Amino acid sequence: MKRLELISRILITVAVLEAIGTPLFIWARTPLIHAKVAENGGWSPDVIHANAGEPLTLHLTSDDVVHGFAVGQMDMQSVDVMPGKVTDLTLTFDKPGIYTFFCTRWCGLNHWRMRGTIEVSGSSSDPAPASPPLYIFLGLNIDAPHDAHSIPDGRPSVISGQQLASNLPFEQSVDYYHTHSPYQVFKELKSTSLTEAQRWDVVASIWQSNTTPESLANGQHLYAQNCAACHGENGAGNGVFADKLAAAGETSKQNMAGDANMIRQTPANFTDPARMLGASPTLLQGKILRGGMGTGMPSWGSIFTPEQIWDLIAYLYSFQFEYQR
Amino acid sequence: MNSRIILLLLAMVGLVVAFAPLPVQPIAPQEQTFRIDARQFAYSPSELKVNSGDTVTIQLISTDVVHGLYVDGYDISVEADPGQTATLTFVANKPGSFRFRCNVTCGAMHPFMIGKLIVGRNDWLYRSIGLSALALVGVVVSVKQKA
Amino acid sequence: MAKIELTRSLFIKNALKSRYPQLAIFIVMLVGYVFAILAGLIGTPVGSRNFSIVFVWIAWWAVLILVAVPFFGRGWCAVCPIPLPGEWLQRGAVLSPPDKKPKWPNLRWPKFLRNIWLQNISFLLLALFSSVLLTTPNITGIVLAVMLFAAIGLSMIFERRSFCRYLCPVGGFIGLYSQTAPIELRIKNKQVCVACEGKPCYSGNENGYGCPWDVFPGGLTKNTYCGLCMECIRTCPHDNIAINLRPFSADLAKPSTRIDEAFKAFIMLGSAMIYAGVLLGPWGTFKDAAYHVGTSAWFIYAIIFLAIIFVILPGFFTLGILKTKSALPLKQRFASLATALIPLGLMFWVAFSLSFVLTNASYIFASLSDPLGLGWDLFGTANAAWQPMLTSILAPAQTLALVGGLIWSARTAQKAANEIKTSSIPVIAFCFIATLVMFWLLV
Repeated sequence: MKRLELISRILITVAVLEAIGTPLFIWARTPLIHAKVAENGGWSPDVIHANAGEPLTLHLTSDDVVHGFAVGQMDMQSVDVMPGKVTDLTLTFDKPGIYTFFCTRWCGLNHWRMRGTIEVSGSSSDPAPASPPLYIFLGLNIDAPHDAHSIPDGRPSVISGQQLASNLPFEQSVDYYHTHSPYQVFKELKSTSLTEAQRWDVVASIWQSNTTPESLANGQHLYAQNCAACHGENGAGNGVFADKLAAAGETSKQNMAGDANMIRQTPANFTDPARMLGASPTLLQGKILRGGMGTGMPSWGSIFTPEQIWDLIAYLYSFQFEYQR
Repeated sequence: MNSRIILLLLAMVGLVVAFAPLPVQPIAPQEQTFRIDARQFAYSPSELKVNSGDTVTIQLISTDVVHGLYVDGYDISVEADPGQTATLTFVANKPGSFRFRCNVTCGAMHPFMIGKLIVGRNDWLYRSIGLSALALVGVVVSVKQKA
Repeated sequence: MAKIELTRSLFIKNALKSRYPQLAIFIVMLVGYVFAILAGLIGTPVGSRNFSIVFVWIAWWAVLILVAVPFFGRGWCAVCPIPLPGEWLQRGAVLSPPDKKPKWPNLRWPKFLRNIWLQNISFLLLALFSSVLLTTPNITGIVLAVMLFAAIGLSMIFERRSFCRYLCPVGGFIGLYSQTAPIELRIKNKQVCVACEGKPCYSGNENGYGCPWDVFPGGLTKNTYCGLCMECIRTCPHDNIAINLRPFSADLAKPSTRIDEAFKAFIMLGSAMIYAGVLLGPWGTFKDAAYHVGTSAWFIYAIIFLAIIFVILPGFFTLGILKTKSALPLKQRFASLATALIPLGLMFWVAFSLSFVLTNASYIFASLSDPLGLGWDLFGTANAAWQPMLTSILAPAQTLALVGGLIWSARTAQKAANEIKTSSIPVIAFCFIATLVMFWLLV
């Protein structure tokens, strides 16, 4: 039976080699972008190359938990990157440059550090120089304390404020809104004959007039997705990661001294009137763009568009003011 | 007595133990809300007790990654991202013991991320214990007969 | 109930004697096994979407513990691919014996290791690391590969299937539990064997190889060590070997007095209870301890695990049987009465496995279409959702299994106790209490 023995041996060898070889071959030629939690390395690869004007197809998979993918400052729907599954995505970049891609589903304390870059090359005119953000332009120190020295007794009401504001002499332009904190405007209203409570109501109405219901809704959505995990669903700085951030902050105190600096290691409490009402939109924009030095506050400059940031800021003030929806 | 008759009797008692409706204490249905923290790989609290007929609201708070909560037997679920509490409301109209588990892959031990929900009384456990005791009696009796 | 000789049917006998159907099954199994190693090593690290985890710990395990062991005893051993490459090299052929045999040392397995202690240890090692093993594809891949290469290596040095007989963690318990199965391989007529010259069932001839399991088929009275490989049916010149259908747990009527087997029964019983508590219970601390191998919490978990298996369970058992009068010394009484734990343990494993198998079997569909998590969709089921199956029958099925196991083990205890003229009450009480604990953990 030598022939059957030979055939059997060949059959076995071929079958086993096929079982190893074919999948191995296909695997080696499947370019996947793996998502892992930041503590285990984040995106790999984390630098992708593309050409302007050419479609870029990405195959995304997660190696552990639910992640998401989006490119910063691009008008796109984020896609979910599910564990063990592959999500296909095709993007086209009009302009060359370096784009940031980031994870869009919270995946741990260091979720926001899960970022990578897409380097889009192509012939182009020199890129337009970016203008410095407002707080740099104004020379504003966004790390300095900015507590308001006087706070309202209750939540200022926009409706009352609107009635009062119609009788007031001065114009409130967007620039005025951007560059003044609610407390500063409250002080400027001293010249009027209104009570303190009424002055706060007017401030609230000025703030509402600088945003729209759509912007507020957008800001709320952005807040829930990006900020609530640390800052709390109700803005009180007590999100699910607040304790871990405090613990991480302990180790980074270095030569900073005292409880005052410990406060900076926990997420900001937007329901604190002194802190919020003393902050101008420019200050908040600066903090959001740049992030916090030595704290867990991410820098969102490469992620959010300017419109998104103003929408978010408008929403943040709604923790202080009684907006009408 | 013939062992066959005894075994037959035991079998009938067994059927009663297994299937006879047990007395239910009529407790007026209430609304109950539970805040459950979910982390890799456990729920906290992980054991819930409600009365039959209660309207149960579970607020799922994920504290590290995206988790889900799926209730065996009720076939309902909810999923929560950290920072976005999710709510699941249902009427606990099926009595007994049900496991709830994570239904969003959340890491290695995901298949074992489990909690327990008891609606009313865990009757099936008592029935099982009863059946076990009956089974033992049956075995002892049938052997005594042979001896 | 009498035995029914299946090999009376010419069709069955020839199908078992022929090497070709067996080879076909072997090739399928070996390909699947090798693919599982590959999937574990290069596939997605997400267990539920990786062929190695889904097909080893859900599909294969389900078939093994729910079908193969209860109904076919060592039936899995009959088709297992692990010994094959080593054995083919050792034999110098994949079909019938070659004219020229290869010169391997073919050493005899050392006498002091001719027991199942190594298998007890290898099973415990896997059990202590099980939380990581069951959920991490590359660990499963590595363990599968290690077993394969260990079997090959041992075949190059020692005779027969030494890995299978003395090292394999699976073989340890399916051997023990095969005593309960309704199928057996036995000789037909003892006198024929007495008169037989050369005993080719053990030493081989031109038609086949000597028993790879180091068993003398002429002396087989229990299933424990026979791997159903069918070599002896091929070599026996007198057609004296048969495969019989027989009542369940016929072998348990002759209780073994071996301590290694007794402890295997405790190992299986204890680990089923511990798994039910740690893996299926709501206690996160235990799961953390079990998963984070190497931490102090895990060491404590490991010590408790081993204490339950080697001290607490056997301790209570011994206390119970201490006072009972018997001709046999304690050690043999212990081992003989521990036979009652065999059907109990089997049913504990069935009840436990039903839970996680029915909950997670739906992963099998997705895994068939996308075994490596690369985005394939071979059969269109890659996006099949996770959906627990048959949840309404789970609790009744578990109750049936556990009550059935209790009855079975109580009967076994009575028969074993009768054999050695002692009381079965302590053992029955032990089984009853263990069953209650298992109910509390599972239901």
